Formats: sequence, structure tokens, C-alpha cells
Amino acid sequence: MTERVEVREGVLKENDRIALELRERLAASGTLCLNLISSPGAGKTSILEGTLEALRPTPLRIAVLTGDIQTERDADRLKRYGFPALQITTGGTCHLDASMVKRSFATLPPDALDILFIENVGNLVCPASYDLGEDAKVVVLSVTEGDDKPLKYPGIFRRARLMLLHKIDLLPHTRFSRDAAVADARRVNPGIEVVETSCLAEPGLGAWLRWIDGQLAIKRGAGRPARG
Amino acid sequence: MHELSIAQSIVDSAREHAALNGGRRVLRIGVRIGEISGVAVDALEFCFGLTVKDTDLDGAALELEHVPVRYRCGACTHEFHPVEFLADCPSCGSSGASMVAGDELGMSFLELE
Repeated sequence: MTERVEVREGVLKENDRIALELRERLAASGTLCLNLISSPGAGKTSILEGTLEALRPTPLRIAVLTGDIQTERDADRLKRYGFPALQITTGGTCHLDASMVKRSFATLPPDALDILFIENVGNLVCPASYDLGEDAKVVVLSVTEGDDKPLKYPGIFRRARLMLLHKIDLLPHTRFSRDAAVADARRVNPGIEVVETSCLAEPGLGAWLRWIDGQLAIKRGAGRPARG
Repeated sequence: MHELSIAQSIVDSAREHAALNGGRRVLRIGVRIGEISGVAVDALEFCFGLTVKDTDLDGAALELEHVPVRYRCGACTHEFHPVEFLADCPSCGSSGASMVAGDELGMSFLELE
């Protein structure tokens, strides 16, 4: 005789369990954890380089975990700013999962961190499904990719807290409509915040750095962005 | 292509719940897949076959329930499938609808021998 048993749980519950463990550990140390997700080539590593360079003179303790299918190139680029940067080479897997982050995190120096950046594998689909214990997913959409991405890849835009409209200095040279991109992102996620960035020209990374500052203040329970 | 790891998670979960229910053979596994969960159904079925082959779950069927995106209107509670995620309610015209289904990736049931 066959019996039907109801099973109401997420398919990725083991990942979610490890992510929760990471989230609790990061909460205990007051560490802000941001998970950057984009297509390959959107500019995640360059944004992180600019961010680390800007934050180098501050007393903030920062580390970066960067995921790629192959090569240590991103970690090599990111190590130049004086903060620990570890490569997670997935060997073919198209996303980071919580167990990869946990293993890599365990090899970081044991000092408490203010910010942990996770640079996910370049991919707008698979990384959206995996909770890594982050405070926020940040989706990077560069204007050269086209403004149709939020409706084509709704999963990641739905789960991201912030969208960086990147390479915004190239806007005059493209057919990208910032109004359409923002409106479409807000269709799938009415609460998504939007910040415009460029690594090479105005407006630079200032608004992104202020957003991070605000998130740090929230994480520390200050309730309002720190000055400085 | 994260369907192989998702197939493995489904199999792990099925095995765990079969053990909790007296270790009976699993005949069918029900999984709910939201429209925007980012899972490719064909790839998942293919990977599931590979994952269970020559194991205790060999022969178990995978039953995938596709869950379309559904919005609920904040004003009149009407539920509808939006066109390209537009939140405009087709019933009352208000624009305050929010997503109530479509991004899930969940186990649903097991059929045990």
C-alpha cells in the first residue's frame, strides 16, 4: 500500500541551514556581509577594487571572498589593497553556495571584520537561489548589457536589496534606458534601491560607498548613517 | 546549470524523510518549482535521473509542479498572473499588488511504498 507524506520544506534547506549559521556568526561579530551578483564582465571586481582602494585609509577591517569557475586572477587583483582576499574556485559550478563560503571563511584570519564582501560567480540566474548568509544581495547591471535584464532575469532582481547601475558614464553611447531599467526592476521588487556607479568617470563610486556606510550604521544598530 | 546540486538536495531530502517514515521505498517525489525560481525543468529531470541511478531511489518518479507567478491586489485582494510583472490589478485597477507565489523551490510530498 502506498502512502503519501506531505513534506513542506525548501529544497535547499541544507544550504539555508549553513547560511543561517554563517549569518549568526557574522551578526555576533557585527560584520556587514554583501553578496555581489552580476553577469560576467559587468564590473564586480573593478567595483570591489575601487571600493577597497577608497576604504583603505579608514580603520575598517575588510575581507573579500571571490568566486570564479577557474583561475585565481580576481583574488590576485583584490589582494593589492592590503585586505585579505581569498579565491573560491568552483571548478565548474556556476554559483557559490553556503558551504563553499563557510569553508573559505574559516581560512580567513580570525579577527573580527567590519565588512565581508562576497563576489559571486558571474551569472544572473543560479546565484540568486543560494543564501550565503549575507545581509544583502547587490545586483550589478552595467548599461552595456541592456535595460531588459530585470524582466528577463527576475529572480535576482527580486532578491537583491540594491541594484548598481554600473558603467553609467557609458550611457550616452548606448540605447540603455535608465528609467526603463529602474521601473522594470521595481516591478519585480518594489523595494529595490538603485545607485549609479562608474569606476572610470563621474559619478564614481561615492553613492555606493555612502550606501555601504548606511548599511554599516544599521548593522551596528546606530539607526542612522555614520558621518565621515 | 545548478540543477545537479538541486537534484542532489531533492534526493537527500527524500532519503531523510523516507528514513523518518520507517525506511520505506520512495515511489514518487513531489517538488514545487516557481516560475522565477531559476530552475530549468528539463535539466532538473535529467540530473535527477543521473542522481538516483543505481541507488536506493532508482526508479522513483519526480513530479514537478510548476507554480506560476501570482500577484495579490493590496486593495481588493484579487489574485492574478501579471503580464511582465506589472502590478496593475485587472479587477480594480489599483497598482499595489505584490507577489504571493512564483519564486518557491520546495519539497511538496513523498509517495512511499
